[in-house]
Amino acid sequence: MGLRLLRKILVPFAAIVVAASMATLLMGRSHVASPTSTPSPSQFSLTAAGSASRKAQLQTGYQLFQVHCSFCHGTRADGSTGIAPNLQGLGPGVVQLWLRTGWMPLKTPGAQPDNKPPAFNDTQIREIALWVASLKKGGVPFPPKLHLNKANVAQGFSLFTLNCAPCHTITGAGDALADGYHAPPLKAVTRHEVYEAVRSGPQNMPQFGPKNITPAQLRDIIKYVVKYIKHPVSPGGISLGGVGPVAEGFVGLFIGVGGCLLAAYWVGDRTERGSEEDQGSGEGPAGEREASHA
Amino acid sequence: MIDNLYQWTDKRLNISGGSRKLLNKIFPDHWSFMLGEIALYSFVVLVATGIFLTLYFVPSQHEIVYHGPYLPLDGQRVSEAYASTIRLSFQVRAGLLMRQMHHWAANIFVGSIVVHMCRVFFTGGFRRPREFNWIIGVNLLILAIFNGFLGYSLPDDLVSGTGIRIAFSILESLPLVGSYLAVWLFGGNFPGTAIIPRFFIIHVLILPAIIAGLIGAHLFLLVKQKHTQFKGSGATEENVVGAPMYPNFIAKTQGFLFLVTAVTALLAAVVQINPIWQYGPYKPYKVSYAVQPDWYMGWLDGALRVMPSWEIVFPGHMIPNAFFPGILLPGLTFTILMLWPIIEARITKDDVEHHILEEPRNNPLRTAFGAAVLAFYFVLFGASATDVLANYLSVSLNTVLVTFRVLVIAVPLVVFPITYKICVELQHQHRPSKTKRHNIVVRSPEGGYSTIEVKPRPGDERTHLPPIPVDAMVLVGPRTAQAADGASPTNGTDGGRVRGIFKIPRTYR
Repeated sequence: MGLRLLRKILVPFAAIVVAASMATLLMGRSHVASPTSTPSPSQFSLTAAGSASRKAQLQTGYQLFQVHCSFCHGTRADGSTGIAPNLQGLGPGVVQLWLRTGWMPLKTPGAQPDNKPPAFNDTQIREIALWVASLKKGGVPFPPKLHLNKANVAQGFSLFTLNCAPCHTITGAGDALADGYHAPPLKAVTRHEVYEAVRSGPQNMPQFGPKNITPAQLRDIIKYVVKYIKHPVSPGGISLGGVGPVAEGFVGLFIGVGGCLLAAYWVGDRTERGSEEDQGSGEGPAGEREASHA
Repeated sequence: MIDNLYQWTDKRLNISGGSRKLLNKIFPDHWSFMLGEIALYSFVVLVATGIFLTLYFVPSQHEIVYHGPYLPLDGQRVSEAYASTIRLSFQVRAGLLMRQMHHWAANIFVGSIVVHMCRVFFTGGFRRPREFNWIIGVNLLILAIFNGFLGYSLPDDLVSGTGIRIAFSILESLPLVGSYLAVWLFGGNFPGTAIIPRFFIIHVLILPAIIAGLIGAHLFLLVKQKHTQFKGSGATEENVVGAPMYPNFIAKTQGFLFLVTAVTALLAAVVQINPIWQYGPYKPYKVSYAVQPDWYMGWLDGALRVMPSWEIVFPGHMIPNAFFPGILLPGLTFTILMLWPIIEARITKDDVEHHILEEPRNNPLRTAFGAAVLAFYFVLFGASATDVLANYLSVSLNTVLVTFRVLVIAVPLVVFPITYKICVELQHQHRPSKTKRHNIVVRSPEGGYSTIEVKPRPGDERTHLPPIPVDAMVLVGPRTAQAADGASPTNGTDGGRVRGIFKIPRTYR
């Protein structure tokens, strides 16, 4: 049953993949990566150079988009009402963010997508983003080279507290927002994702333009996130997931008080009391008696 | 030499006479009598580590520019209180360990008070004549919670600052006097610059002094009124069975002091608590999501969260929403808790002195009530983590909130009958003294049923011991009143019946 269902899904999918690969081969590309293989850096630089390869990139992006995205977003990426938004003019940065985080392709329509392993490798994502961007100018560009050496991490911390912590929490652990939305954790983000998310404002997140957060300030925030949110300084020991006093309370009660209770149980007398059998049986093991209450 | 010195001192201060009684005080052996000691010793740890912390902490909201090894704060404007706590954590030798020990000890302090209180409640240890000690204990709990909150607020970090803001608003919600009270306590409107110094002096001087005094009163009453005890092993309403203060109990309790300290130190060395450098300094215009207080304030935070947004308007005066969960709930909680011995005595019309504790199963009504109340506060505590739960379970926050509104009513209603039933069942449990007769049920050829009584199983025969022969008993006390008057023969028999007080020989016990 399950096998047949699997075959039903896999066979057309495989056919699509083969067709797409054939198409790219016919276009004269020497390196074709299947959706699951990872690109080598040399491959990336090779395809990024020159206008002829640029055309090839656009063509592959077009192919991939038609196969994987056009079902909802339309063949010209202009969306369909009530199902998928218009992608034209959003810019390549937005497309790259949504594909690299695995938010797209969507698992189930309607809900806020979760982070999952991306369906394409970085080269393919760049190709799709380039093709979408070629339809209309504007929007969020690819992140520039982010030089973080001179960025001010203290300024970044202050700006993070002001702009990011109200949803992502001060430790970047992420949390649930109202109506089923959530602010995802920032423990695994890359510097490019932070840039794209801040500039584009995906989902419930507000959009911060360059007049709100200047490029220098954004670099400060990114430096704080990739250095201190991803690798928090925890000299005090186990950090309990950075969710604060609720976790600490449970540890304090169950391990702290619980440990003391075990110590009391160890030191004290453990015989069961109160049975009527026990009552008349004379002196106990340490049967010293005190004078009467009267 | 030492002996001479002692003699000299004793002749003037009479130490021996007074301490003889104290050294002979009997402590019950059972481990459940050591729960209060956990609280006592974690208080000792709190005082010891707290003194260390005061040496480095600067209780001031004056703003300075921080410079230090933690780069994300380097150059930020922070209060002196925050900067000194950061310095204490990163630059003072053993400073972070002491801070974490202090914080964990606070969690253990309040937790062990609650556990100790549960033991006293469920065994009826608060009944006459110990009502006063119960009331002192409840006051200790309130002060411990309050002082814990103050200490949590002192570092002036982002998370605790949010807590102070909530406290200010709750205080303001008090009808008529609230706003005056809040402004009076904070020395102006929130946040001002006075609250950290004021909290500091209350936290390190005023409340610890009151707590220490109340602990003294608690222990004084304990010695004066003597311990309660479980029945068994010769324990009666008239005596206390256990080990004397010296030498047995002193040794045990000293060891226990070290054990409690060890648990606290171990926790402080291994698990991080309240990493305020990750939170940053408090600024009134900044806030972090997922902010909760420490667990002992958590039930109040949970109550604030689940409370529906009702506001009652008297003519000309509105009672703010925060009043009900923020002031009315804790007010009612602690009033009822404090008056519980009197309330229960009224209900049960029980006005007799009790020194033997009840087993929880033998008072199912009280046990069920207590369990339901505990469940209520536990659900409220859980409600303080609505966002954390919603995030982990990937459920809508709104759903979680509504669920908790239902649970906070439903769970106690479910816990009450279940606990009651468990208690009643436990009363009928198979225990050594309540061996049931074993019967065999047989069916006759006509279809009727009848039972045949059989011999008890091996090991159960002791419930059917033969009576002790009269001859074996040894006359120890005076005979009956009659006999003592000399009105009847004094040879130990009276018309064939033996009268007087007899000792049962050991072989027959």
